[in-house]
Amino acid sequence: MNRREAIQRTVLALGYAISAPALAGVLKGCKAAPELSYKPVFFTEDQARTIAELAEIIIPKTSTPGAKDAGVPGFIDSMLNEVYEKEDQDSFLKGLAAFEEDAKNTYAEFFTDCKPEDQVALFKKHHDEALAAAGSGGPTGWWNTEAGADKPFILKVKELTLLGFFTSEPGATQVLQYNQVPGPYQGCVPLAEVGKAWAT
Amino acid sequence: MNLNIEAEAQNTYDAIVVGTGISGGWAAKELTEKGLKTLVLERGRDVRHVVDYPTMTKDPWQLPHADKLSAEELKFYPVQSRTNWVTQANKHWYVKDTENPYTEVKPFDWIRGYHAGGRSLMWGRQTYRFSEMDFEANLKDGVGVDWPIRYNDLSPWYDYVESYIGVSGRAEGLPQLPDGKFLPPMELNCVEEVFRDKIAEKFNRKITIGRVAHLTAALPHDPSRGICQSRNLCVRGCPYGAYFSSNASTLPAAAKTGNMTLRPYSIVHSIIYDEKKGKAIGVKVLDAETKEEIDFFAKVIFLNASTLGSTFILLNSISGRFPNGLGNGSDQLGRNLMDHQYRAGADAKVDGFEDKYYIGRRPNGIYIPRFRNIGKDKRTDFIRGFGYQGSASRSEWSRGVSEMAFGEELKDSLTSPGAWNIGITGFGECLPNPENRVSINKEKKDVYGLPTLNIDATWGENERAMRTDMKESAAEMLEAAGFKNVTMFDNPDNMGLGIHEMGTARMGRDARTSVLNKWNQVHEAPNVFVTDGAAMTSSGCQNPSLTYMALTARAADRAASELKKGNL
Repeated sequence: MNRREAIQRTVLALGYAISAPALAGVLKGCKAAPELSYKPVFFTEDQARTIAELAEIIIPKTSTPGAKDAGVPGFIDSMLNEVYEKEDQDSFLKGLAAFEEDAKNTYAEFFTDCKPEDQVALFKKHHDEALAAAGSGGPTGWWNTEAGADKPFILKVKELTLLGFFTSEPGATQVLQYNQVPGPYQGCVPLAEVGKAWAT
Repeated sequence: MNLNIEAEAQNTYDAIVVGTGISGGWAAKELTEKGLKTLVLERGRDVRHVVDYPTMTKDPWQLPHADKLSAEELKFYPVQSRTNWVTQANKHWYVKDTENPYTEVKPFDWIRGYHAGGRSLMWGRQTYRFSEMDFEANLKDGVGVDWPIRYNDLSPWYDYVESYIGVSGRAEGLPQLPDGKFLPPMELNCVEEVFRDKIAEKFNRKITIGRVAHLTAALPHDPSRGICQSRNLCVRGCPYGAYFSSNASTLPAAAKTGNMTLRPYSIVHSIIYDEKKGKAIGVKVLDAETKEEIDFFAKVIFLNASTLGSTFILLNSISGRFPNGLGNGSDQLGRNLMDHQYRAGADAKVDGFEDKYYIGRRPNGIYIPRFRNIGKDKRTDFIRGFGYQGSASRSEWSRGVSEMAFGEELKDSLTSPGAWNIGITGFGECLPNPENRVSINKEKKDVYGLPTLNIDATWGENERAMRTDMKESAAEMLEAAGFKNVTMFDNPDNMGLGIHEMGTARMGRDARTSVLNKWNQVHEAPNVFVTDGAAMTSSGCQNPSLTYMALTARAADRAASELKKGNL
């Protein structure tokens, strides 16, 4: 049973007095769930929902917290609003619109209306294409500045998701490990003794 | 008239130190410990050790925007942000470029911190001695002028400074990079050890752990400072006082004597020269808060306002005797601006060692001492040489962006550290060139109505030829060590970005060709000492702060003894 069917059944079962246009809206999905856990400043609510679902596809909740648990959707909204320059904001929104357009052309609905497996398939299609086009980057370090090329939209979302997630307390401390005061540096330790990767 | 005399008496000290950064802190400590009543003038605000480090214990999630500046904030830092190092956690240490203009006749990144402690709070902490070879280089090559001192003149002062500030490192017995008074070295990681051994075997070159002004053992004379905890958040100010800064070390020492008066918000814009007495008698201060003009007087003046800050003050000190700036009879003041070039080198992937990792964020890396143009190694395309800095590490979560995985698979894979990488960048010597210069711009004023600097400097042919070798030799060593996907890099590198700007009031033997004598005294105004980077006659390829500190301690000793003898 997908979300659309679920809503329909719930509506029928509870016998809500609901107007036809409103019901159409609910069924279309654009004003209903998935719920947003924050009030977007930069995105419209529709855009914010798409970003939140994409973030959760990239880092889902498992036995440990996922992107939504870690507040990643709100983080991305504030990064777009406050850190991105105007032209980068525009380019991001253009990418988002094109992504939504593809959802519509492929599945005839908003991205957030698509079935979960269709959402994942659409993400994967864009993600695979973007990585194929990007080629392989060399190793980088503090001595090597970031390449300035404009990343495809889907990789911007992935990058923002990973950044927001692994700098969050749940991401850094429950998925990876974090120690604010490590003590004197130990340069060569069996991985088995250290355990998980360091958040920083 | 009586009022004036009274005011003058009130504003009179034995010594004035202009600036509180890495060399000013040392001048303050040494002069006050020798019993001189010393006025220490800082153009920015006071920064008290620990108390005024607002971000020092913040976790990543406690900083907005994952530590990145907002687009609005970035507008204040168009130059400072060229480093890519200005973040939410440290933005308060960098000047707002919008309030501190200068003119880039050619692109020049002037990276500054206007507050007590200056850039000693944000410095890279790499700490190396210059060698006999460096002090002899200009004479041998016929470049610039000869240093008026040799290694033996400075060696005891290197000892003295290192012992006081605490320098971690390993003795290697290299003539081009003299050993110092070291605290225990930090560890190399597994891959760096392999690199060290391969390079020794195949090139007979040394790789050593970086020598850093961090405590790896207690300092008996300074129990207030603690041992480095490998947080690698140094630039925010260290709650343990584990790395050397003026704030953690020299300024508290000076305060303890009871002889220091530290006056923040005091912009020194010129030195007062008394034509009748034929000597400098004090400094003119603009109070940054009240905008009041105040004169302060002293028998001896130490300029430690940073290379270009001190040079500005001298250039802006106009009198009948010195129409082109105090002590500028040689016309060398403002000339010979140098820096170190870097961001050219190579990196590589490293196979294996998947079962090895590390604990701690080591605030340090590896160092490859200079090997070019030493002994039998002779290049025909450039003189002097470069050292390398770099490190090996395992890639972390950010690698996930370019991985095919997503979802649970990605999340799982990122919980383990990624493959090992290694990279090194050269730090190359820059030759003194009189055409690389700064001058006063009277048309463009800062927010206080003071004139500003024009900076007109660029890398020369020797630096460009060296840069090619910096890349190629890096790749050659990484290849020889057996690492994979060796890739050379050469990133944009304006002059200034090394933040080792130096040389604009050089020391020399002859007043006709240099600004300072062998004791860092202005040839033509011997009670004015300049002991920051402006004094440098050549640049070496080593990080220069230790040399500034040693020159300062030596000059302060000279100043105190000359004062006692009545010679100043």
